[in-house]
Parts: sequence; C-alpha cells; structure tokens
Amino acid sequence: MSDTTEALIVPISQVGRPRWHSTPSGRERLWGFIFIGPWLIGLVLLTAGPMIASLVLSLTNFDLVHPDAVRFVGIDNYVRMASDPNVLKSLQVTFSFAIIAIPVTMGASLGAALLLNSPKLIGRNVFRTLFYMPIQIPLVASTLVWIGFLNTETGWLNAIIGFFGVKGPDWINSETWIYPALSLIGLWGIGNFMLINLAGLQSVPTELYEAARIDGASAWKMFRRITIPLMSPILLYDLVISLVVTFQYFTQAYTMTNGRGDPNHATLFINLNLFNEAFTFSRMGYGAAIAWLLFVIVMVLTLGIFLFARKRVYYAGSDR
Amino acid sequence: MNGKRTLFRDRTRRALGSLVGIVLIVSACGTAASPAPGSASPAPSTALASPTEPPAVTAEPLPPTGPGPNGGVIVRWFVGLGAGGQPQQLQAEAEFVNAFNASQKEVYIALEIYNNNVAANILKTQIAAGNPPDIIGPVGVEGLNLFRDQLLDLQPLIDSTGYSVEGVDPKLVDFFKLGENNATVGVPFATYPSFLYFNKDLFDEAGLPYPPTKVGDMYQGKPWDMDAVRELGMKLTVDASGNDATSASFDPSNVVQWGFDMQYADNSPLAEASLFGASSFVGSDGKTAQIPEQISIGEKWYNDGVWKDHFIPSANQINSDLLDKGNEFESGNLAMNESHTWFTCCVYPAAPATPKIKNFGFAIAPAYKGTITAKLHADTFSLLKSTKVPDAAFKALTTLVGSSELLTLYGGMPANPAQRDAFFKTTDANFPGVTLDWSVPQAMLAYPDIPNHQSFVPNYAKAKTAWQAFQNKYRTTEGGVDIDAELATLKTTLQGIFDEVAP
Repeated sequence: MSDTTEALIVPISQVGRPRWHSTPSGRERLWGFIFIGPWLIGLVLLTAGPMIASLVLSLTNFDLVHPDAVRFVGIDNYVRMASDPNVLKSLQVTFSFAIIAIPVTMGASLGAALLLNSPKLIGRNVFRTLFYMPIQIPLVASTLVWIGFLNTETGWLNAIIGFFGVKGPDWINSETWIYPALSLIGLWGIGNFMLINLAGLQSVPTELYEAARIDGASAWKMFRRITIPLMSPILLYDLVISLVVTFQYFTQAYTMTNGRGDPNHATLFINLNLFNEAFTFSRMGYGAAIAWLLFVIVMVLTLGIFLFARKRVYYAGSDR
Repeated sequence: MNGKRTLFRDRTRRALGSLVGIVLIVSACGTAASPAPGSASPAPSTALASPTEPPAVTAEPLPPTGPGPNGGVIVRWFVGLGAGGQPQQLQAEAEFVNAFNASQKEVYIALEIYNNNVAANILKTQIAAGNPPDIIGPVGVEGLNLFRDQLLDLQPLIDSTGYSVEGVDPKLVDFFKLGENNATVGVPFATYPSFLYFNKDLFDEAGLPYPPTKVGDMYQGKPWDMDAVRELGMKLTVDASGNDATSASFDPSNVVQWGFDMQYADNSPLAEASLFGASSFVGSDGKTAQIPEQISIGEKWYNDGVWKDHFIPSANQINSDLLDKGNEFESGNLAMNESHTWFTCCVYPAAPATPKIKNFGFAIAPAYKGTITAKLHADTFSLLKSTKVPDAAFKALTTLVGSSELLTLYGGMPANPAQRDAFFKTTDANFPGVTLDWSVPQAMLAYPDIPNHQSFVPNYAKAKTAWQAFQNKYRTTEGGVDIDAELATLKTTLQGIFDEVAP
C-alpha cells in the first residue's frame, strides 16, 4: 500500500458519525415521518388529546350548563359508579347481551361464509351481494324497519309465527325477548364479518382438504381439524371486533327506546347510559368517568382474549 | 465546488421535502370544512345577500366586540329549542331579522338557527365555552326547565321599560313565572291550548252525536266528563268483525279502531292525568317526591282503558300499521285525540300522501268532578343571565314577541287575542272543506293546568326518564300493571333522583 493510499484511509472514529437523516435509511425514516405526519398530528390532536381531556374531566364535577361551578372531585365519580344502580344495571345488560350476541353473530357469519364458499351453490355472487347489502342501510333506518317487522299487531314475524298456530312473543317490550330481538337485528348486519370469513376460507389451501379426503376424513372432521385452525386468526379478529362493537352498542337501543333503555332498563347499555349522563343530564364529568370504565373493561377483555389466544391461534409461517 | 453544488442540491431537496410535508400536514389538519356549530366563534349574523340565496343556518362571523353592521348593539338570538328550526322557516326568520336590522340603529340581531335535535346540546356547549347567546326562543316550558337557573328574571326590565301585553289574559302572564323563586323568564307569545280532536266520520258511522263545543254543554243528557269519554270511547272502539267494545261479542285481540288517546303526550303520566287535574311529582318544598291523587286516579283510568275496556290503544297497537306507527289520529282509526293546537300539523300526512281523515272537528276537554283542566303549552323568548347587553336584548325580545309574522311562521295561537284571526285563517287554509270551531281552543285557554305538566322538578331530565319508564310499562305490560304499586316504586325512584342534586 502506498503512502498516498494510506493517507486516504481515515479511521471512522476520526470522521465522526454521519447525521441520522443523511444516511439512506435515515432519509427513508424522515420521509416516512413526513408522510405519516398528518395522521400523527390528527392522532395527537383528535384522539389522544380528547382522551386525556376526558380523563381530566372524569376527575371533576363538570356540568355543561354550569361551567362556572366546576371543581376537582378526585375519584368521587369512580366511587359513585360502584353504587349507581344505572351503571350496575348497564354493565349487567351489556354483559348479558354480549354473551348472547357475540356467539350468535360469529356463528352466523361463519356459517354464511361457509355456505357462500360452497362450490355447489348456484349464484354465489348474487347471494354474497344479498348478504352484504344490509350493511349499506343506515342503522337508524334499518332499526325503524325492524321495529315494524317485530310489532306484535301488524309485524310480519309474528304473522309468520301465527301462521303455524303459535302466538308470537312481544319482542320489543318483553325483558326476556328483547335480547333475542336485538340479536336478530344484529344478524342482518353480519355482512362485514361474513366477507372477512369468506376471504379467510378462500385462503385455506385446498390440498389440505384433498389430502384429508383421501385419508377418509369426514366433512365435520375437516371443518374441525383444518378449517377452524387455519381460520383461527380471522376468528380472533372477529371476536375482538365483535366485543368492541357490542360494548359500544348504542344506535339500535337508542332508536328503539328514545334513549330510555326500555323495557325496565333492559336495553340500558353502558354506552347509552354514558350518553344519557353526559349529554341528556349534562353531567360531563360523570359521563367521562363511565367512558373510562368502558375503555378499561374493553381493554382488559381484549387483553384476556389475546392471552387466551396465544397458544390457540395458528399463524402460518410462525413457530407456533 | 462540486461538493458545494451537491450540498446545495441536498438542501434544496430537503427544503422542498419539508415544504411538501408542511403542505400535507396543513391540508390534512386544516380542511375547509364548515365550522362546527356551537364553536366558540364570534357572533354570527344573518347573511342573506339576496332573497334567492338559500338561508344560512349560522352565518358569517361578526366581530366579537363593537357594534353590528347597522351600528347597533349586537344581540345574539338562538333558535332551535322549540319551533323555528324547520327548513321552511329559515328564510322567513332571516328576512324578519334583516328587516329589523335595517329599520333601526340601536340593536343588531345576530341570528343563529339550529336543528331541534341538537339545539339543546349546542346551547349547553356554548354556555360551557363561555360563548352563550343573549336570547333563546321560541322555547316551551320543558326547554326552559333545562336552562332554568341560567335564565334572567325579566321583571326588572318589564318594570323599567313599562312593557305590557295588551289584552292578554293575566293567567298567561303569570304562566311564565317559571324561573328560580318564581322569576318571570318569559312573556306571552304563542299559546297551544289542548282540547279534543274528533274524527267526524267515525262518529257518523257509529250514529253518535258529536262531543260538545261549548263549556257546560251536556253530551246525550249527561255531563261531558271522563266517565262520558270512557263510555263514548268504548262505543267507538271496533274489532275486525265490526263489534264495538260494549258488545259481548267484542274481540279485544283483534281491534281495528280505537275510541280515545292522548297522542304525542311524550310518555308523560303528568300529561295524561292532567285531565283529572293539574299536579306535580314534587311537593311544595321543591324537593320531596309525591304522587298526587290525580295521577293515581288518572293512570288507573288509562290502565283500565287500555287493558280492561280496550278503548285506548296499547304501545304495540300505537306503533302498528293500524295506527300509522304512532300518528294515531292521522290513521283515521282513532275517534278522539286530546292534543294541542300544534297538532294541526299532523292531522294530514305530508304530501304527496293523501289524507285518511276526511272531516274532523274540535271539542271541549272533558271535565273531572265538574272541573275542566286543559293542559297548556306555550312558547316564549327568554334572556340568559349571562347577557352583557340586557337592555338591548330586551328590546329585541319585545320585537320578537310582538311579531305577527313570527307567530304565523311558528304556528302558535297568539297570546294576544287581537292577533288571532290571521292565525285561524292561515290554519283553515290547510284544511279545505273542513270547518274548525276556533272558539274551542280559545275557550280552553281559561282552564290551564297549574302547575303545568311540564313544570320544573329537581334533576328534571333524569326524573323525566323515570316517569316515562312508568308510563311505558303500563302501556306495554300485557293485562296492565298494579298502578298503586308502580307509582310507589316511581315515588322512591324520583326521590333518589331529586336527592342527587339536593344542595
């Protein structure tokens, strides 16, 4: 090596570290931040900001109509929730409904997807469209239609039941029948889950079914041993989203009962109770506290589901 | 040299990149969307450049301080808590305000109109943001209840200006002593007395004479009271086979026509039972829950009417196609409906649907034990305590109250008898071929429910949900409920709700 060459080779330590954004990867990072910047700012200002604000509000007695009387009350709102019959009732209502509605929705959407994935079904695309179409109808409008459909006097459902000589129940005004009625209404909107499940079913390699068939596996066995395991990430997604949607249940209950939670508070879902406290009764501080209760419940349940699912969900390409 | 060029190019690129980034951020965050209603922006004004332009709901901002465009003190008028937010009313309201602003230089009214569904929440938000309007209205008793302790006592302004409403019944003047410590929070503007709407064709079909149109008249030789309504209601209730509810062959599971109801009573037992006498769920101390006898007697009458005598429809029947999913009288299958003058809005369906009722009339509200109580709705304009310009705001308020254009626009029967003819003519024009006896609503003004069925109770909005739940329960429970037991439960619930806000 000549002296000249040696002089050109300078140890890196003597040059100093390049600035992060002047390296190729740094520049990529910079551009990445620039492009997600608007979203990040939106997240901070429109989501994180209001969340923090609501947390602060939940520690006050803030009332929209009496803003001058606002004062810090510590955890009083949270303590009060423990003895508020409406909060306790709304929790019971929401959990009861979740126990019925989530399995029904998941089962029906998977069932519909299986049917619509069948190669034997004629006019599959027509049926897929028909199943998805109700999603396009605004919830308030569809709920009003359902109220008419479920009416005991002139509703079609009880007319159909009556055709078989059986008197149909009072779907909307009975504390017993209101949850099946709401679940039934919910079934009308399974189009999204059905579509996701259908995509999941179509991603299951057909060779697995062919191999199983050669080995003499029954349809049920193939469903249990191939379809369900390979669909498990999709089903996990369905479960988490169903849970969140169920705990945020509002529009149908509000439309059917003008926000009162009839019959006898059987539809006083936690989100409806939150709305009433914050906006109808103007108690924004207490409403914010209920919102945080709802957030914590959903977060804990979601974490629980993820923990439970760790060893039960199959991800192709992972080591589990 | 080369290195400098590269450096220059890099810097230019970086600067350009940053610029693009900033533009993206600004464009993402600063969209040109219309401002959120109720935001703490300066007072908007009416902005009708020409009559052909669509009316603005909230118009261009005015400077927060200083005079309005006509040099007058800016007074913000908030519309939407009651009437006034309908699309067909906006243009006329804006024109009224523009004409007023052009006519003088002392006051500049800045008009804000909101949809009724969101108006109360927007007003709450404005109050919370420290940006409240000066005038609210037209607003009824219930709307005033929501903002009761925010309302200005108008009496000092009335006294200092010598304001008076000529010819108005003193009872109507006192009606608006609804504020804290009986403060006067409004002056008479529009009234909506209640009476019976009856379907003449159904009476003719049953061969029954029409109900009385004069106070004191008898019906078929008997006093016109709640017993007579029950008896008449049963005769006008018919099953699918044509049997009326007094017949032994009557099938209550197959009713197609009903005799009586109090439609659009907001699920309120106070409203329903008002025919049996005015009452309130709160005692004279303003904090103790009570169940007055009138409520108990009245709700038993309704409970039996629905489930035993079958002349009043149940909730399911009301929401069925037979009764037009809630608009019972419009369906043509309800013979008598106790309601207010505002119900003329809803006797016929919206065009292009054809009316099912061919002929209808007004009748006197029935008495109970010789006393008539005809519940009253009334709209007014109020000032908020927070107004910084009470004198200018009161001047604007008296202009609004005195406007016959606004009265006609809102469909309210004028509190001032001298202004009523125009209202009667306008309403009659909506019902060609039908003769309406306007002496009935005017006569009913002499029998208002005091305390009003919408009068204040502590924690009003929450208490209302409790009594609505009671009403819903008896109308939806097959066979009816034990009214005394349910009212006892309601009393306990209401006391808990009142205590929540006890000082």
